[in-house]
Amino acid sequence: MNLKLAIFKPMLKLAMERTGHGAALGFELTRVGHGEVEMSFPYKEDVVGNPVTGVVHGGVIVSLLDTACGSAAITTLTRASVTPTMDLRLDYMHPAEPGQPIYVAAKVYRDTPNVVFCRGSAWQDDPENPIAHCVATFMKVDTPSISLGNVIRRRVKRLFYGDKAYEREADR
Amino acid sequence: MSIQLKELLESLTAARAECSPQAILDLIPYSSFIGAQAKLERDEVLYWLDRRPSNIGNPSLPAIHGGVIGGFLELSAAIEVLYTLDVNLVPKVVDFSLDYLRPGRYKTIYANCTVLRQGNKLVNVTATAWQDNIQTPIATARCHFLIS
Repeated sequence: MNLKLAIFKPMLKLAMERTGHGAALGFELTRVGHGEVEMSFPYKEDVVGNPVTGVVHGGVIVSLLDTACGSAAITTLTRASVTPTMDLRLDYMHPAEPGQPIYVAAKVYRDTPNVVFCRGSAWQDDPENPIAHCVATFMKVDTPSISLGNVIRRRVKRLFYGDKAYEREADR
Repeated sequence: MSIQLKELLESLTAARAECSPQAILDLIPYSSFIGAQAKLERDEVLYWLDRRPSNIGNPSLPAIHGGVIGGFLELSAAIEVLYTLDVNLVPKVVDFSLDYLRPGRYKTIYANCTVLRQGNKLVNVTATAWQDNIQTPIATARCHFLIS
């Protein structure tokens, strides 16, 4: 593992597993490589989409694949940039088995100066039999807001204000 | 938590009779997880999602998680099918395509949906999400559902 990935992995884990929606869902980043990310999601009853069968809602798969593809896109960056999603296309092959964890793998298959092209798939027991497949494109946007100083400043604010820090930032 | 198909059908019929799309949302655990709400406005269903910390994706902006916007639009599209069409099972999503147009700022997101085509097996639904103004959407989605 090179130095860049050694820094990216804990930062990505912190951003994806410990904050906001990733934390609420209980995502786990299991592998971070250059242009490749793997994740897992334990089954949760509160995110069921079909109350009759207990199958999780597609929105969870969207979140998982968006996060995994977006994280994979971030690992290809060489400057202080963010990679907002331009578009995401998902095919649902078959419903997820209730009560079972979901695994996701995402890979950057083309990296250009402005756009990163990714694909990802989600499965339960057999990667060859995916529950969903996706392609996603990400924009590279340079921004100073992700510099280490700014990240620390926001962390300190959250210590003081808790979740209210988000509202203060948004309403500013 | 799980309910029988018979109960679901009774709840669907009741929700349509009472003109309450919210009653259909309440049947789906995921909708309360993200906090999605719906009401009837000028014969159309308006969906909205109030801000909450557990929906944040990028804490630095702060912005709503792209997956939440996608999940909210997919959920809205499914509710639109259940509420406006005579479909008596949870529609099965086949594919979902989402274009992100602007960052989802940390405030309420609104959405509306249009059923473009209803066939015997498939339904095509589009959904649009906006925050300040419907003229400046933050995302649009297109979704196919199997309904047989």
